[in-house]
Amino acid sequence: MIEQLLSDLSFFKPELTLVVTFLTAILTDLVFRRSPVVVAAVCLAGFALTGIFILGQNGEEALIFGNMLTVDAFAVFFKVLITLSAILVLVFSLSSAELNTPGRSLGEYYSLLVALTLGMILMAGATNLLMIYLAIELSSMTSYILTGYTREAPDSSEASLKYVIYGGLSSGIMLYGISILYGLTGTLDLYQLNQVLATGDINDFTLLIAGVFTMVGFGYKISAVPFHFWTPDVYEGAPITITAFLSVASKAAGFAVFIRFLKVAFVDAGAGEVAGGFWTMLQGFDWPLMVAIVSVLTMTLGNLVALWQDNMKRLLAYSSIAHAGYLLMGVVVMGNEGTAAVLIYFIAYLFMNLGAFYVVMLIANKTGSEDVEDYRGLAARAPFLSLSLSLFLISLTGLPPTVGFIGKLYLFAALLNSGWIWLAVVGGINTVISLYYYVKVFRNMYLREDEEKKGRIEVGAAQLATLVVLLVPIILFFFYFPPIVEFAQASIRIFGTP
Amino acid sequence: MDLFDIVFYCFALIAVGSAVVVVFSRNIMYAAFALLFAFFGIAGLYVLLQADFLAVTQILIYIGGILVLMLFGVMLTNRVVDVDIKTGTLQIVPAAILAAVVGGSLSGVFYSTWSTVSGTPSDVATTTPAIGEMLMTSYILPFEIASIILLVALIGAAMIARRKT
Repeated sequence: MIEQLLSDLSFFKPELTLVVTFLTAILTDLVFRRSPVVVAAVCLAGFALTGIFILGQNGEEALIFGNMLTVDAFAVFFKVLITLSAILVLVFSLSSAELNTPGRSLGEYYSLLVALTLGMILMAGATNLLMIYLAIELSSMTSYILTGYTREAPDSSEASLKYVIYGGLSSGIMLYGISILYGLTGTLDLYQLNQVLATGDINDFTLLIAGVFTMVGFGYKISAVPFHFWTPDVYEGAPITITAFLSVASKAAGFAVFIRFLKVAFVDAGAGEVAGGFWTMLQGFDWPLMVAIVSVLTMTLGNLVALWQDNMKRLLAYSSIAHAGYLLMGVVVMGNEGTAAVLIYFIAYLFMNLGAFYVVMLIANKTGSEDVEDYRGLAARAPFLSLSLSLFLISLTGLPPTVGFIGKLYLFAALLNSGWIWLAVVGGINTVISLYYYVKVFRNMYLREDEEKKGRIEVGAAQLATLVVLLVPIILFFFYFPPIVEFAQASIRIFGTP
Repeated sequence: MDLFDIVFYCFALIAVGSAVVVVFSRNIMYAAFALLFAFFGIAGLYVLLQADFLAVTQILIYIGGILVLMLFGVMLTNRVVDVDIKTGTLQIVPAAILAAVVGGSLSGVFYSTWSTVSGTPSDVATTTPAIGEMLMTSYILPFEIASIILLVALIGAAMIARRKT
């Protein structure tokens, strides 16, 4: 057993690096109390090393630590995505005026960012319900603290409190669901769960309730309706950097754990490869239909409520709820093509959503406002920022020439190929609705004049460079998308499933 | 109905009855003390199920630690002791529907699986050594991750409690 655990450690390098980085960051913070930049440098180095170890896991497959965690292409994909966004968010944080106020100690902020990343990375690979729960709890707990980091802002503490209450409730419901699943099947291991379910002598109704309760936890993480209530307030109250991180990485981790749960536990492992790459679901409840209904509710509510928002962070919060709905459409397909589409969409979503939040942050740094009305005449004051924001918003809508178009294209193609025509139509209508509120921002920036003339908004060279790093993939992957499509298609492999 | 059943119903009654008081009490101190009995009832159920380690941890950590901390918190917080908790009822119709649906399905769940539960648990020796060994072998990863969660919570608590500079 001990030898086994020691050899498992070689598959655990990325997570181990993050743990070491977390502890080192806390100690560094004690020594360099006055200069949080040192802590940030330690964390950045840790993230970079983690990234290298994750890339080294490419092609490896293993179940480690008594089937608690798995290393497979699917997990590696999400780990790459999460680490990349963690690095970007760390860079954002360095130039955030909201965080870098005099008198605030940022050491804990950076170290907690590492702990948050660790929780999400564990979510990507967890194959045991106990581990899934702990990973979700680690990332939630850290998110609560980081959301309330700017305590002097009144809505930050309020957001944090609301987050704690909603988070506590949904993790309680999830834990209850897990306990019923355990009582029903006698195991927490997803693979053994699948074997028990495959025997067929499980009470369907009980399984349905336990499954739905368990999925409440995942639904809360990806902010799917009706577990989305926390999203707008938390996204508005949290520091923009944390909002950006939660909207991308937290959602990615939630989808990773959701797809893995569905595929490992509810797909017939004995069915082998099926024509067209569709999964053979085990007997029982119609999970695809349930996910489809949640998907429709999520995107429709997200888009409709976004129409009325006049705060950029709130607008992007509802837009991110809508995007969770689009991404769920890919899950509905329950097949390889749908999963690949979700992964492709996530690559696009990473750059466009982080980019949009970054521009909002840069503008708020100078103007101190996130109000859409204050974006009037921005094109004249900050031409490059306005252009970048427009590109990110076009990409979020899913129009060419941006990578968002590629993401939507693959999602809709997967839906049409699997016969979910009505869902594709609803998704299409929603895309059109979303165009309206993205254009509203665009119109304010370009077509409306600001009555009182204000000075130009200048941003530093480092910020511009970061912005360019986010902009290049948006355009590049539209014209040259085979690499991301191939990467995503190679990453749908989930350990121990057909 | 043998002795086992009688003891079971006693502990179950303590647990559920106190939980009801926790929810409906308008005085926060009464609620906190009722929580003590609810935890105690659960600990009794653990003993009945021969989960000796869980029962002791329940008493040590929940009653001895968390609850005492909570009472201190309540008493040290200004103006909380005498203040009635806001227990107004909002949105009564949706809440009633939701509660009825959830309650109904849960009753359905336990009614339909009731028959599959076998009677009294078989005798097992003390569980503590086995738990200790498993925490260090097959459950080492959750064990270590739980310690990181606690560290995060500690940092968070210190951060929130810190005075504004």
